[in-house]
Amino acid sequence: MTRAMRFVLVAVMVSIALLAGCSSEDVAKKESTDKGNELVYATSKDINDMNPHFYTGSMPAQGMVYESLVENTEDGIKPLLAESWEISGDGKVYTFHLRKDVRFHDGEPFNAEAVKKNMEAVQSNASKHSWIKLSTKIVNCNVLDEYTVELVLSEPYYPTLVELSMTRPYVFISPNNFIDGGTKDGVSGYNGTGPYKLTEHKVDQYAVFEANDQYWGGAPKIKKITAKVLPAGETTFLALQKGEVNFVFTDDRGANSLDLEAMNQLVESGKYQIVRSQPMNTSMIVANSSKSGNPVHETAVREAIWYAIDRETISKQIFDGTEQAAYTLFSSNVNYADVELEKREFDLEKAKQILENAGWVLGKEGEFRTKDGNPLAMKFYYDVNSSSQKTMAEFIQNTMKKIGIQLEIIGEESSSIATRRSSGDYDLLFNQTWGLAYDPQSTIAAFTSKSSYFHSTSGIAKADELYQKIEQVMVSTDEQTRKSLYADILTIVHDEAVFIPITNGRVTILAPKNLQGLSFKQTQFELPFERMHFE
Amino acid sequence: MNRLKYVLKDKVAALSLSIIAVTTVAGVFAPFIAPHDPEEVNMELQFAASSWEYLLGNDHLGRCMLSRLIYGIRPSMLWVFAALVLSVTIGSIVGFLAGYFRGKTDAFLMRVCDVMLSFPGYVMTLAVIGILGVGFENILLAFVLMKWAWFARIIRTSVMQYAESEYVKFSKAIGASHLKIMISHIIPVALPDIAVIASSSFGSMILQISGFSFLGLGIQAPQAEWGMMLNEAREVMFSRPELMLAPGLTIVIIVSAINYLADTLQVALDPQLMTSKNKQLGFETTSIAKLEGKGVA
Amino acid sequence: MGRYITKRLLISIPLVLLISFVTFAFIHLSPLDPAEVVLHSQGVPKITEELIEQTKAELGMDQPFLTRYLRWAVSCLQLDFGKSYVNGKPVWSLLGPAFINTFKLTMVSAVSIVVLSIVLGVVCALKAGKMVDKSIRGASFFLTSMPSYWLAALMIWYFAVKLDWLPTSGMDSYKSYLLPVTVITINYAGIYFRIIRSSMLSNMNEDYVLYGRACGLPEKKITMHILRNSLQVAVSVFCMAIPIILGSTVVVENIFAWPGLGTLSVKSILSRDFPIIQAYVLVLAVAFILFNTISDIINAAMNPKVRNDL
Repeated sequence: MTRAMRFVLVAVMVSIALLAGCSSEDVAKKESTDKGNELVYATSKDINDMNPHFYTGSMPAQGMVYESLVENTEDGIKPLLAESWEISGDGKVYTFHLRKDVRFHDGEPFNAEAVKKNMEAVQSNASKHSWIKLSTKIVNCNVLDEYTVELVLSEPYYPTLVELSMTRPYVFISPNNFIDGGTKDGVSGYNGTGPYKLTEHKVDQYAVFEANDQYWGGAPKIKKITAKVLPAGETTFLALQKGEVNFVFTDDRGANSLDLEAMNQLVESGKYQIVRSQPMNTSMIVANSSKSGNPVHETAVREAIWYAIDRETISKQIFDGTEQAAYTLFSSNVNYADVELEKREFDLEKAKQILENAGWVLGKEGEFRTKDGNPLAMKFYYDVNSSSQKTMAEFIQNTMKKIGIQLEIIGEESSSIATRRSSGDYDLLFNQTWGLAYDPQSTIAAFTSKSSYFHSTSGIAKADELYQKIEQVMVSTDEQTRKSLYADILTIVHDEAVFIPITNGRVTILAPKNLQGLSFKQTQFELPFERMHFE
Repeated sequence: MNRLKYVLKDKVAALSLSIIAVTTVAGVFAPFIAPHDPEEVNMELQFAASSWEYLLGNDHLGRCMLSRLIYGIRPSMLWVFAALVLSVTIGSIVGFLAGYFRGKTDAFLMRVCDVMLSFPGYVMTLAVIGILGVGFENILLAFVLMKWAWFARIIRTSVMQYAESEYVKFSKAIGASHLKIMISHIIPVALPDIAVIASSSFGSMILQISGFSFLGLGIQAPQAEWGMMLNEAREVMFSRPELMLAPGLTIVIIVSAINYLADTLQVALDPQLMTSKNKQLGFETTSIAKLEGKGVA
Repeated sequence: MGRYITKRLLISIPLVLLISFVTFAFIHLSPLDPAEVVLHSQGVPKITEELIEQTKAELGMDQPFLTRYLRWAVSCLQLDFGKSYVNGKPVWSLLGPAFINTFKLTMVSAVSIVVLSIVLGVVCALKAGKMVDKSIRGASFFLTSMPSYWLAALMIWYFAVKLDWLPTSGMDSYKSYLLPVTVITINYAGIYFRIIRSSMLSNMNEDYVLYGRACGLPEKKITMHILRNSLQVAVSVFCMAIPIILGSTVVVENIFAWPGLGTLSVKSILSRDFPIIQAYVLVLAVAFILFNTISDIINAAMNPKVRNDL
């Protein structure tokens, strides 16, 4: 080996390295953002699979791209892709008259045929959609004429329109994107009818949505929205401060990527504003009552936990008063939820008493309780991307220790927590009710669904009665019966303390100060970006 | 003994040693030294500035920072040390067997080491956490699992040198048992080597393990650990940068002290490393091994 | 030389096989039953024992361990590592781009480390024992003792926020490289420059230097000779650094939100996405072996003595 060769080797290595460095410059684009008509929002997770008939995609992103037949608003169900509709006398047939001026992003017309194909695509994968009871009731979807379509149910089902208004699965994607005539094996593109279209997606980096200028509701004023993946916390804070992103909001798992203090600081800087929705949902701890052999299986233990949470301090210190303490699963302004229930306030003595009575005794001071040699220890999962959940978990852990309960708290990605919820591999976990549009009917229907709250409800003594009543309430047509059934259901889960409420959550938006038209939908999972504009 | 005296003559080394000693004592006797319960939550004192009662202030749950720092010595330093000792022990046993008996034993053990060493350290740790779940014990376990092979490699080399020395050959010739030769002739001379190797990777181990806690893969709340404290401080890094200072500086000081002491120890115990007679070839083998061990956080 | 390369490659092949086997066995220690996970990810509402058995048969999990391993190994060779549990995408479509991003970061860092180490190493060796040498060594000592995440946080705070020169995170332009590369460089250069320094020093005492001096060669020429010989060490340091950095960018990537393997792996662990973790371990271990082999070959090319060692 000569020296010359040696030199060549070095030169080659160095140039490879430099090339590797330079080639990345072509990724260079978009420096600062707020110059134009553009929003860049920070999200801790990728938008993921945008197939609207699946559940892994980011809901705010799907909400921009896809639309449903009807819309759930403060004043009830309103037209969206359907201009009007009729319900047959027996409540089994819904006839929808579609808008005639709607096209998918790929130019394909939106018509009765497209509705039928999409409905069938959803129904052909029914097991996936069992949480949404409508999927078990749809018998047929018939095309009456080009813009009229009819939905036939097996029995009357009162939340039909509400469930049709949801972000997924009953939304529409261009049939051109179907694979093998359906969507369950994936889709070849993401052409919806919504105000924005997905134009670029770099997994785990960013996704770009551009305004759909042909949108039937008028072209949106904000021309470009970018979802940028950033770790929650200080990275997001810095990016906002520097204008690399200019928008954040509570994500579809209920996590805020910034803590309050950071948000307030940004507002003080004069560049941003905070807008909060009305209380939308209840954040809660879900207890896995079906886990026999674990303390969480016992009603007394769950009740003691309920008593041992200092919600006022959480509301005051962790949320700075922006979220109110919650003592029931649904706040009383939710439909059918104005039920008389025992208020379990923060009371450590009472919690200790309950545990003593249930046979959980304290050995030595400072130790954890035991019963027949089994320790009073449980695992508690929280979303690692939510700083407020982490703080709450630590705070609750500390209070529990005072009454002799050992909580092991574990932070994981929200997808893993969702898997745990559906497989029952947890003791306690943070969750939230699904928000105004879904509460109470969908959240309650989800009590029976394996992929949702089945494991938390199936271990209680009255489980069978509970499921029966849920089945009944969903098909009952009489308002009075419904009311009393809901009251019974809520009383059962309240008495069993399987859903331990903490606070009433809101959706919070942090946006540039000159952004106008900020509003909310009836769901915590979507934002009406098309109504926003810069002053 | 002379060598230790040599170490202590170096003022910085003496200072390093006392820093380490004081920290160790503070960690062992944490309950008596810490002014407060490190896990005592007091939301009223959230982010309180330092006061006479809470010298370093309070964190996001109003816990005493100083107490947490002191209790943090246990996992951040003492447990890491325990893991180090364990992996050095395993490594020494394997290294001794391989270096002394040579032949097939050696070939087999070294192939096992090769496999272990072909997983880069971080990857191995992440794999163990991935399977066993997030947690401090799992990280320590992963470290023991991956470090022993590296120690075994180096110790084998040094044992091989001594095993070929004249007096070992002589002992063999007069029929001394293997065990006896090892205990009376090889261990005493190999020990300094082992001490040098172990001490030189102590610092980087502390950095790496606190790094995993920083990422949220290590110790879980409410336990105090330095990396974890930094992770918590990172959330409010720009509104309360002072929270980053105490745990960060503690790590820098401790690790500097350990590294300095390790270096001095190396010079004192292994003067041959310092001489220029270290030929190219020999130099390279030692340095490769060293690099792998020093994979910095 | 050809013989050395062949031999060296022959050694790595069984190693790769063994590692793939260990990786395969490793993941079977995980607490989740793959069949059950697949059913959950398909959202099957009611999972029965029969359904699990059926899925196991579909996945070929009722077959003997070795058969399964072989099948798995063959599909890995085709870069088919299965699908992510979380989003159902093929693992390679996530891992591939991340690997390239990490590789870019690694290469740039390695160059920066070597350049800095050579400069500092040479300066320190030439001025050995003087103030410059002592202060550089002292500083490097201090810097290598800093936790990289702490250093990174401080640098983000100063350069990205206070001075507003650089982006805080991500991988948008060449500017994004500066901070992470600096952090990695600071952490590693301290070790590598000491190697170069001591190799220079030992070179200085070599006979040819004494001989040159005795013959009255100008000092500059002698220095050039020493430099040239030490360059060899630099090259081998460079080669050795690449695999090591490749496997240890985890912390830095996470702080700077670098879309590479480190970020991906931590995310996958926290979402228990086993196919990704498995592929990550395998890919990095194989890359590690590959780079180590290349670096050994390059070393041998430059240093014939090593060749005979095999």
